[in-house]
Amino acid sequence: MPGFLAMADASGLLEVLGQPFMQRALLGGLLTGALGGLLGSFAVLRQLSFFSDALGHSALLGISLGILLGVNPTLVLIPFAVLFALLVNQLVARSGLPADALLNIVYSTSLAFAVVALSLVETYRGGIQQLLFGDILGISWSDLTVIAVLLMGALIYLALSLRAQVLLTLNSDLAGAFGVGANRHRLAFIMLLAVVVAVSIKAVGVLLISAFVVIPACGGRLVSRHFPLYALLSACLGGGCALLGLLGSGLTNLPSGPCVVIVQFAGFLLALVVSQQTSRSPAVAVPAGPRIPGAGRADRE
Amino acid sequence: MTDHAPVLSVEGLSVRRGEQLAVEQVSFQLARETDTALVGPNGAGKSSLVAALLGLLPRAAGSVRILGHALGPAGELPRSVRAQIAYLPQSLALQGRFPLTVGEFVGFGFDPPGLSLAWLGNKRRTKAVLRALERTGCQDLEERRLSELSGGQLKRVLLAFCVVRPRQLLVLDEAQAGLDAPSSEQFQQLLLELRRQEGWTVLQVSHDLEMVRRSCDQVLCLNRRLRCSGAPDHALSPARLAELYGPNVVPYRHHHAGVPGHG
Repeated sequence: MPGFLAMADASGLLEVLGQPFMQRALLGGLLTGALGGLLGSFAVLRQLSFFSDALGHSALLGISLGILLGVNPTLVLIPFAVLFALLVNQLVARSGLPADALLNIVYSTSLAFAVVALSLVETYRGGIQQLLFGDILGISWSDLTVIAVLLMGALIYLALSLRAQVLLTLNSDLAGAFGVGANRHRLAFIMLLAVVVAVSIKAVGVLLISAFVVIPACGGRLVSRHFPLYALLSACLGGGCALLGLLGSGLTNLPSGPCVVIVQFAGFLLALVVSQQTSRSPAVAVPAGPRIPGAGRADRE
Repeated sequence: MTDHAPVLSVEGLSVRRGEQLAVEQVSFQLARETDTALVGPNGAGKSSLVAALLGLLPRAAGSVRILGHALGPAGELPRSVRAQIAYLPQSLALQGRFPLTVGEFVGFGFDPPGLSLAWLGNKRRTKAVLRALERTGCQDLEERRLSELSGGQLKRVLLAFCVVRPRQLLVLDEAQAGLDAPSSEQFQQLLLELRRQEGWTVLQVSHDLEMVRRSCDQVLCLNRRLRCSGAPDHALSPARLAELYGPNVVPYRHHHAGVPGHG
């Protein structure tokens, strides 16, 4: 790989960083990664990992429709993702079937229609790889603005509704009894996740979008005990790994999306090692059982 | 609301689950600071009734008043009334390494309903959480993950979640499910102690008829309709139990060996 060796030095790095498209890509990666990590920290606990994966695959239909209609695919993707979220939500509520099975039905069908639609568009056949793996180097300032606004909005909503989100994840009846509008917050979160997935697809691609949502959150979960720290760490892991992955991609001339996911996986492995080390450390040894009068042995296992 | 007014008043309540009525024409009242058990066989509609009382399931007919305020059709209650209600579910969806400590969870019990940044904390909140943990014997668990607790510890933490701020009505849905006999007994003793201290009015769904006989003031026997109600000795007589559970059910009085005061 002569290209790899030629680029992998300090001057190569400076040259890459000097390019406006690379600066936009780095900022886009940082914001998209942080957004995926933040939303993922809630989605993973609520067992919505597969939802982001299914939505990512289904998004191909939204993109195909945009191309067929001659409209910017990104503009079609957001309403498409929201409709997808609402449709799945309704199907789960009305059919009584498991969510993973319904998601599978909806996304396979969407994917089938998307492939048929794309086969009708002669000029787009060559760009399928960009759809599948993303094109973060093609990110524009307007894309960056949308992602930044979305990140701010998500941060504000999740911070203000943290109690509701956690109680809803633990037990929806418990949440409802303590004044949480369970249906309202559940729907709001699913729609937010859908919009985030739709907006991130241009940078990350259809196949890799779920990695942005799932891997940083799982890494953060391995090393966090406190919920706010977990959400923050997941967002930082997402953003940091995206930055490192893009730098690696720029230096080595390898595809950007897969590079980011490989760095995310390395981050996950690191978190796994750290969690193993800390669980062996006496500093976090399990404390003694509760001291209440008449406490039985059964409670002190 | 006067001191003699019922905390909970239910009139002609019917609840639908899918196509069928799970609860039909149920009426009862809970007097202040009493402990009422809701008993009945599986599928009798106990959980549906509780969900409707909390405003989590829509009502097909009837009315519910909590602390003198009518429960709206979609479960609406004034925020000040909602803050007076606590609920203990059977279980929590805690997968491995759930990143939430006991202290954080109990703190959420202190925070008001609605959007807020109260979780960031203040002295009053920290003090209330520590006091709730002490009162439930959970002071050593504050930094433990919720997912690391045993069944008995988790139930006590749920009680800390309820006691962290003053409330009037406590609803428990088979809160002792999954506990062994000594843990169940400890939980019941702690509940009794907190109920007296806090002046809670309690409604608990239970299958432990012996516990109900010993601890509760009133029993509601449900099998879609309210089959009988009254003091435990009246409502849990062999004839009433046979009517509720069928003729093959024989009441058996058990004792929890090794538990102080029993055996």
